[in-house]
Amino acid sequence: MIVIVAACAGRRIAPSAPEPLPEARERSVDTSPKARPRMIPAEVYLRAYMTWFGGLAPLEVQNRARGKQLFDAWDDYLAALGLPDYRLDLPRQNQTNSLMLATFGRLGEALCVRAAEHDLHKASSDKVVFAFEPPPNPSQQQFAIGFDILHRTFLGYPVDLAPADRVPRFYALYRQIAAHHPRKQPLTADETAWAAVCAALVQHPETELY
Amino acid sequence: MNRRTALKCLGGSIATLAMRPLWAAPRAGDDYFIFIHASGGWDVTLWADPRNERAGLIEPASTDNTDIAPLARWKSVALDADTSTFEILAPSNTQQRFGPAIGDLYDLRDRLTIINGLAMNTVSHPDGTTYSATGRHLAGGRAVATSIDVAIANERGAEQLLPAVAVQFPSAFVGERLDRRAIPLRVGSAATLAKSLSRSDAYFDTDDRAAITAVLTGESTQLAKHSVFPEVYERIASQHGAQPKLIGGELERAFRPKQLQDAYPQFDYKARNLGAGSLAAAFAVEAIRRNVVRCVGFALGGLDTHNQNYKQHAHTLQELFDTIATLVHLLDATPHPTRNGDKLADRTHILVFSDFCRTPQINLAGGRDHYPNNSALVISPRFRGGITFGKTDAEQLLPADAKRFADGVRPISPPDLLATFLHAFDIEPRAYLRDGDVVPELLR
Repeated sequence: MIVIVAACAGRRIAPSAPEPLPEARERSVDTSPKARPRMIPAEVYLRAYMTWFGGLAPLEVQNRARGKQLFDAWDDYLAALGLPDYRLDLPRQNQTNSLMLATFGRLGEALCVRAAEHDLHKASSDKVVFAFEPPPNPSQQQFAIGFDILHRTFLGYPVDLAPADRVPRFYALYRQIAAHHPRKQPLTADETAWAAVCAALVQHPETELY
Repeated sequence: MNRRTALKCLGGSIATLAMRPLWAAPRAGDDYFIFIHASGGWDVTLWADPRNERAGLIEPASTDNTDIAPLARWKSVALDADTSTFEILAPSNTQQRFGPAIGDLYDLRDRLTIINGLAMNTVSHPDGTTYSATGRHLAGGRAVATSIDVAIANERGAEQLLPAVAVQFPSAFVGERLDRRAIPLRVGSAATLAKSLSRSDAYFDTDDRAAITAVLTGESTQLAKHSVFPEVYERIASQHGAQPKLIGGELERAFRPKQLQDAYPQFDYKARNLGAGSLAAAFAVEAIRRNVVRCVGFALGGLDTHNQNYKQHAHTLQELFDTIATLVHLLDATPHPTRNGDKLADRTHILVFSDFCRTPQINLAGGRDHYPNNSALVISPRFRGGITFGKTDAEQLLPADAKRFADGVRPISPPDLLATFLHAFDIEPRAYLRDGDVVPELLR
């Protein structure tokens, strides 16, 4: 019994003196991108396109976009947009080419012209793309307000975060197109210029890549 | 220059001339390439590897299983008491033998290089197609090597406005070191090309579009400067830069279907099975004539005949070969855009392949299924015309040993044909192909 008691009477562990915590070191994190920007899948492009057109079904978009040789039928463009063709076992295209950009351009023009007709020319209350009231012959500052809305719509982020010369570059485009279109039909000079700015944004590399 | 140096130079020059045929002097802008995919898998016993006797598994085409009325070169011979088969076409001046589906191409037999007994090792449509075009089987459903048209566009055509156009052709752009301008322009129909390039005049004009394009080119160039991966944005900048030459101008008008049909009435655009392919063939001639492409690939399809539709297989093949014959005649009659005095046929090279061939036996549904053998066809001034290389066995139609390759005696396979094709144009095959030996017997 004495032996057991003696064995259990252990030594006390003396607490160590308090020490300051080690200095927090900042760990460097490599945030550089590890993969190239990729083209958005053609399905995503089509879905976004239909949303920009007012959330319509494909055939409704097709019907609305037709007229004045702006558009034909979706079937004509599916392969050029990069969609796979399972009837022929052809895989999707995951890189842009010049014909694909031409197709983006044709679809972009159709979208932006029809949106300008709907939102600006007819001054519809349910605006789908140009969700602002553009002043005629705007200054760069006034232009930037509407441009920011389009920029958020198509590129997904505010124009303030874009390279600083983006607004002046697009404003110059606006001025050039407006000056080139003094007529009022089918769209006014300002409406045509906004449609051109829209057409440039919908084909912008940051719209097509992620 | 002392005597030793002079002798060295002389010796080097002679050695270079001896190693390099004169025709191989490369000029990037001189040659054009047409690749045709006979999609669906063709019956080689009806044209390149003709069989008209029952032997082993082989049940030849006959009046029982084939609609012979539209076949211009079918000449009946008795197969048995009630049935006739075809007489094999055996021209006296070549060792080649043809079946009746060869159609009008028979008249050009002196220029045909036939490859029989291609070992496919697959009976899957996508796999066979990819293997024929890239020399590699699919991996996880994806092509793992660059297709022949992209390889040639990368080497010889990046400076062209449209380096590689693929109309339902199985083009594959695989690899990091390729010129991004060689990315194939893939479309579902030749008519799409004109539609994608056309623009309405109602709202914007050429100047407006040039201004939009300039903005986009500037934006792409600026993003390239700030990107970790500038090549992606540089590629888009160059593609935007090409738009003014493409859109809404003379090219768009020239590529309209009606315009193509009027310019090349020789093609049968109402052909029962291959009318759409004829438009692609017309596009190929027009685009080459205008020197805006390097490679055009297109599909001439409708050959997947498992059932009673096999009765039309020979007719479909005949339409296919008639279209190719028309194409060759047009190339013969069209001047070369950059070489005075030459015609397009002198510098245009055609490769025709299919997914695989069809079974030697007729199935219970009256058709032929997939079979891991194949044939291919080359029409090129760099290839020996009037020859057939490779063979199949007499009873099973399976690929037979063709020669001793670097890895031993074996049948020829698609990588060998592709390697030979690249080598013919002074392109190092190993830069694009993992497998395959050059077959000098095919080359002039």
